[in-house]
Amino acid sequence: MKYYKNLLLFAILTFTLLSCSSNDDNPVANEITLHFHNTFKDTGIVLGNATSAEATTNKSAAGQLHHFSELKYAISNIRLIGKNGEEFPYHINDLDRGATVIDQSKSESLDFVLTNIPSGEYSGIKFGLGIKQELNTLDELRFPNFYATAGANDTEMMWEWGSGYRFVKLEGFYDTDHKQMSIHTGSTVTGTKGDEESYTQGVDAYRDISLNLPVNATVGKNAPTITIKADFDKLLSGKTNTIILSTGDSAEDNATPNIHTAEAMLKFVDNLGGNGTSDLSGMFSVEEVIN
Amino acid sequence: MKKTFGIFAIVLLLLSCEADGTEASFFYDNPEIPIYIPKGFPELNPSVKANPPTLYGVELGKKLFHDKKLSSNNSISCASCHQQSNAFTDNRPQAIGVHHRIGLRNTPPIQNMSFMRFYNWDGNILLLEKQPLVPIVTHEEMDSSILEIIDKLSNDPDYKKLFVKAFGDEEISPQRIYNSIAQYEYTLISANSKYDRVMRNEGEAFTASELRGYQIFEQKCAACHSTELFTDQSFRNIGFPTNPNPDEAGRGRVTGKPEDYMSFRVPSLRNVEYTAPYGSFGQFSTLKEVLDYFDNGVIDAPNLDPILKENGNSIPLTEGEKEELIAFMKTLSDANFTAIE
Repeated sequence: MKYYKNLLLFAILTFTLLSCSSNDDNPVANEITLHFHNTFKDTGIVLGNATSAEATTNKSAAGQLHHFSELKYAISNIRLIGKNGEEFPYHINDLDRGATVIDQSKSESLDFVLTNIPSGEYSGIKFGLGIKQELNTLDELRFPNFYATAGANDTEMMWEWGSGYRFVKLEGFYDTDHKQMSIHTGSTVTGTKGDEESYTQGVDAYRDISLNLPVNATVGKNAPTITIKADFDKLLSGKTNTIILSTGDSAEDNATPNIHTAEAMLKFVDNLGGNGTSDLSGMFSVEEVIN
Repeated sequence: MKKTFGIFAIVLLLLSCEADGTEASFFYDNPEIPIYIPKGFPELNPSVKANPPTLYGVELGKKLFHDKKLSSNNSISCASCHQQSNAFTDNRPQAIGVHHRIGLRNTPPIQNMSFMRFYNWDGNILLLEKQPLVPIVTHEEMDSSILEIIDKLSNDPDYKKLFVKAFGDEEISPQRIYNSIAQYEYTLISANSKYDRVMRNEGEAFTASELRGYQIFEQKCAACHSTELFTDQSFRNIGFPTNPNPDEAGRGRVTGKPEDYMSFRVPSLRNVEYTAPYGSFGQFSTLKEVLDYFDNGVIDAPNLDPILKENGNSIPLTEGEKEELIAFMKTLSDANFTAIE
């Protein structure tokens, strides 16, 4: 994937140079770069181990200090909204081309370039935090590139026992004694939505995000960059839930992956990705559009 | 039975070759293997009809099930943990995968899968065909990937032949691998224990001790270990010592419901003599230890099973009753099932 991205970068550079010299149709101008800016409130996140001095520390509404050593999430199902409200789906059924894993430790992963976007003005964007149910099957045959990206040892965005992908993986430390926090989200839904017979158990951790752009992104003349802020302050201090982390082995303890159990996981999911009804943005907002 | 089919297939093959005279049209007779429903068993899971076992589908599935190429370093197969001689378990507290990695849970037996509605201790899998991928990709199990496996199998002429026989052409697809393994597992039916022969009036009788054990079982155990599968397939928290691994939450991790926290599927008691140790991570080495634990009292929990709650969080049993219960449980052993062909 890295190789692929480098190749893409090389291709973009080549195209840029070519287009500069020729003044012909400019394919680069039909791209949009989505830049993901992971923050605690307005401060960009720096990762660090338990006692790191450099790591960005945040304080939750309940007063708990915390910082991350790892921060990853899967983005898919991207749709651009034209200025008249029409939707332009971007390879929404192709995880290899239309989905990506944002990994704070890899700066190149923070930019996702959408190519061959029709010229025009766009006023909004929709995307999924996670992978929608019908594609969340670890289908390596269909999507070998995304499978490889998500499944790579350093990524571990595969939820093995649920035969799906992890949607969010956060590792870090909390409270002044740096207790471990490890929050993973993913779906365990079985069956097909709408099919009563098969849709029998599990939770759906996929969330659809809908954001308006502060100014229209103009595709065709230039290649705009949309900076999407992901404010992880919302993890514990969200619009839906205020969460207090605790460590232990009861069903209520939520700082370690036993949040898989529960409602507890869905509370994190609702904070990060919205509750799907009254909140369709969760931790996401559009920080800036550069045309 | 198998041989007859094989000869039949060869005869048909020869006939068909002669009949149309072309070498190209290989025709294998690949008849369905009907799953017989033992007396008193529940009806078949509908997925058996969707993926009916066939002669060569089962042969292929069985070969895959025993093939170590399914693991990343070719060190373990499905059968490494699911050993037929132990009713397809491994006699270890928790399963051991590649590089001696220790899994989360006790290996579940594979038997009577055609009649089950939920698979695994937490019931996360409802369709048997979706199960093989889980151990294939799991870090603590085979730690491989389906394309890695297909790549290995593609170099093996035996597999090419078997895929043609089972599915009509050489293509080795993920779904064909999953389907054939499931087909093999659908045929693993255990219903010929002493208990079955007694119930079918085939001339055998319980000993006095077994009979008393059966009566105690009916009174104190059959509420959960019900039906001829000896499980009602419900999920219950019965207050066993809990797995310290923070990934463990029982069925709670599947459903997200607090009432499912540390609940596990009621295990079938068929072949229970062969499937020690017991409990979701092998907490108990013997059946006697399990019964002692119930007798002494289980760990309380808000969602502890109501039947246990009503009885003061225990199942009181005298030492004599325990012996008789164990004698009865041993009548559920099916030596034909565990005998390797």
